[in-house]
Amino acid sequence: SSQLPLSNFLPFLCSYEPETLYKRLSILVKGHDKAVLDSYEYFAVLAAKELGISVEKVDKPPKTIERFTLLKSVHIYKKHRVQYEMRTHYMCLELKYLTSSTAAVYLEYVQRNLPEGVAMEVKKTKIEKIPEHIQKPVWDTLPQVEETEVKS
Amino acid sequence: MSSCGNWFLKSLFDVLILPCGRSHISPVPFSLDQAAPPRTERMAVDQDWSSVYPTAASFKPASVPLPIRMGYPVKRGVPPSKEGNLELIKIPNFLHLTPPAIKKHCAALKDFCTEWPSALDSDEKCEQHFPIEVETVDYVSSGTSIRNPKARVVTLRVKLSNLNLDDHAKKKLIKLVGERYCQETDVLTITTDRCPLRRQNYDYGMHLLTVLYHESWKTEKWESEKSEEDMEEYIWENSQSQKNALDTLLRIKASENVSNVTKEELLASEVVKNYRNSVIALKNEGETESNISQYKESVKKLLNIQA
Repeated sequence: SSQLPLSNFLPFLCSYEPETLYKRLSILVKGHDKAVLDSYEYFAVLAAKELGISVEKVDKPPKTIERFTLLKSVHIYKKHRVQYEMRTHYMCLELKYLTSSTAAVYLEYVQRNLPEGVAMEVKKTKIEKIPEHIQKPVWDTLPQVEETEVKS
Repeated sequence: MSSCGNWFLKSLFDVLILPCGRSHISPVPFSLDQAAPPRTERMAVDQDWSSVYPTAASFKPASVPLPIRMGYPVKRGVPPSKEGNLELIKIPNFLHLTPPAIKKHCAALKDFCTEWPSALDSDEKCEQHFPIEVETVDYVSSGTSIRNPKARVVTLRVKLSNLNLDDHAKKKLIKLVGERYCQETDVLTITTDRCPLRRQNYDYGMHLLTVLYHESWKTEKWESEKSEEDMEEYIWENSQSQKNALDTLLRIKASENVSNVTKEELLASEVVKNYRNSVIALKNEGETESNISQYKESVKKLLNIQA
């Protein structure tokens, strides 16, 4: 283990961005193989626990099957068809209360280890304060401007 | 030709005699006829597995000491073994992500994580200190391009009770945004995707919020023409119901030959106030059991009917 934590050198190693807060991180993983998604779920949940991120819930929406029917032969033989289907399995992981650094670290780790043929959608909900210019209406502070006649 | 090759291979067991006279080359310890034994035979039970599979790699039967069988079995047979098994190579494996390996990675990554502020431990506190929610979506998939056009959509959500609005401003804002406001949850949702980049969409969303806020505080000249149809909630003052009630009461008083009672006195009386509250409740909240019974009582008191 290092004597000096790496976070000491972060301001020098990368550009500084203000720390934002993410109320919820919703990760939806889609794949064709359920066993792969199950293994990935075990990995993602364990990684979240090790990094100290609270897992709100792990949801497994039902699979969707897209089927289509094509002609079997190149020419004629309309009565003989072949059917194909694509099965997409889903796994939704919801994490709560992350800072932007933690979210960046977790997402990078989890996305680098995304298996082949698996897609991911990450929905981030950032929380912010009300900006300065919406605190008070501006009409009191602006100088009085003479209303010009609108020429129609 | 093959016999010549066999002779060459056999002679490797012996020391190679070269024309230049160098004979210090030691004999090769194995023969090229047989393959080396698989690495699994030399693996200890308590070895460090993360050094065998440090990164994602395809399944190597000689490196994985497990008797795995995979595939559809032939008739009256068993699934094929791991040697030369394409099914095992095709499927993505998680051999590089065993629990000890994950723990090691996370221990190294923990340095880069920051703590969530402990004061914000519930949704309500987050709402109170940070009222605006900005939602963005990132997409990761394998393909020819890493870009996804859906990634530029930004959704802003804010509760109107957290904004500094007075009554008129709130009503005007709700009228301005129309469908984007939800009555039950008091949440204004602004979804922007008209700009090509996410940062631009976010800036546009904040600009919209600013403009809506400031415009709703303004009072235009034509707002004074707001009629009864435009009102969001029922107001009893200057309504048909008030006129009818006062008219009826005046006529009752006139028929009883009581001295002229003024409108203000009638309005301030208890019965008229009860009637007003019950009518407002009926119109704004809809018809419920309690509302209708309250209306019945107030009408009976107003017209002095003892039923």
